[in-house]
Amino acid sequence: MGDDKSLMERVRVREQQAMAEIFDRYAGLVYSVALRVLKDSGHAEDVTQEIFFQLWRNPDSFSSARGALATWLLVVARNRAIDHLRQRKPGEPVDEVVVASATNVHSETERGIMMQRVRGIIGDLPQEQQRSLQMAFFDGLSHSEIAEKIGQPLGTVKTRIRSALTSLRKRLEQ
Amino acid sequence: MTDAQHIAQDDLALYALQALSQDESAAMREHLSECDVCQAELARFRGDLAMVALSVDRHPLPSGARERFAQRIGFGSQATKLGEPVPIYREFRSSRAGWVGWAVAAALLIVAAGLGFEVRSLRARLLDKDGRIASLEASESRAKQVDELLTAPTAQRIVLTAPKTPPTPSGRVVYLASRGELMLQANNLAGAPVGKAYELWVIPADGSAPIPAGLFRPDAAGNGSLVLPPIPQGIKAKAFGVTLEDAAGSKTPTEPILLAGSVPENGE
Repeated sequence: MGDDKSLMERVRVREQQAMAEIFDRYAGLVYSVALRVLKDSGHAEDVTQEIFFQLWRNPDSFSSARGALATWLLVVARNRAIDHLRQRKPGEPVDEVVVASATNVHSETERGIMMQRVRGIIGDLPQEQQRSLQMAFFDGLSHSEIAEKIGQPLGTVKTRIRSALTSLRKRLEQ
Repeated sequence: MTDAQHIAQDDLALYALQALSQDESAAMREHLSECDVCQAELARFRGDLAMVALSVDRHPLPSGARERFAQRIGFGSQATKLGEPVPIYREFRSSRAGWVGWAVAAALLIVAAGLGFEVRSLRARLLDKDGRIASLEASESRAKQVDELLTAPTAQRIVLTAPKTPPTPSGRVVYLASRGELMLQANNLAGAPVGKAYELWVIPADGSAPIPAGLFRPDAAGNGSLVLPPIPQGIKAKAFGVTLEDAAGSKTPTEPILLAGSVPENGE
């Protein structure tokens, strides 16, 4: 098994085996994110299949300049699942998604350990930040929808979401 | 929404989440297309979102998903029929009642053919299980031998390295999930500082929390081992890792991961 970069190079020369290896490596992760958003295994599989098929059809939609393949797929999976949930056209072309992360999640071991760490950090955030982040990230609500739902001003919702994300980043960088 | 030069952080976070209205997003997109500073900050927020996504519970893919994808990209002829449901009835419409009987008979034939296929499939799976059990028994017997070798007081331990090359830390795990038995042999580890110890972790395949699998301190030569530490039975592992923890052990692993290895797909 090669690393992600060499696998993507093989995908670019239409090597199906390499694409199957990428699917084996990350489809479970992508599916789990989509399932968390959509709460329906059939729709979550549709989103998963479509993301990997698009990558096969257009391998240049991803390049290492856009981040690590794992983190890029995580963001694309969440965004596509939200698009599916809201029954709207893709909000942003995948080849415009750039992800910068200092966190290494290349191996299963690293992903398993990081998952526990992130859960711990999110669990430590103030309840109102957790709730706003959850509504925006997993439920796909806009800031105005969240503000209406929790009865708080728009500015408060914005600040809570940004604070939750920057706190997570700072704790991960420690 | 934007100050004199750049987009406010609150709004960038919402843009990354696609939580803005179309008009708001369009205004930001215009600024982002020309501003490297805001593009870099947006990428950092997306990195944060990737970590949030990583926190979800892991679920196995639906049955046949891999075969469906392989078929879609034209990979592997054997994948083409896997995962597809066997049709056991067909829609039939006719103005003549006599056709109903024939259709029912045809449907029964299809059901019978399906059942025949199922029986053959079950037989094949039983044979496969027999082979797997034999393979596990052989592995266990071998693990016993290795165990005896590693724990024998008279056994000599010799580390071979290329001259003038610093030895690389490494480890080897033998794991039998069904019995909850495990053995680790690690080499070339740095000495654990006072109050610290190395800890082995089982990373479960189902995405649940890493399970501590024993503490150890290497000897002066950097060798350490764990033999049959108490761990739960039946945990299917996808990987193992070793970290440096407080001597009393930890509930969750502390980075960095000093040794890591994934379980091969055909492993237990």
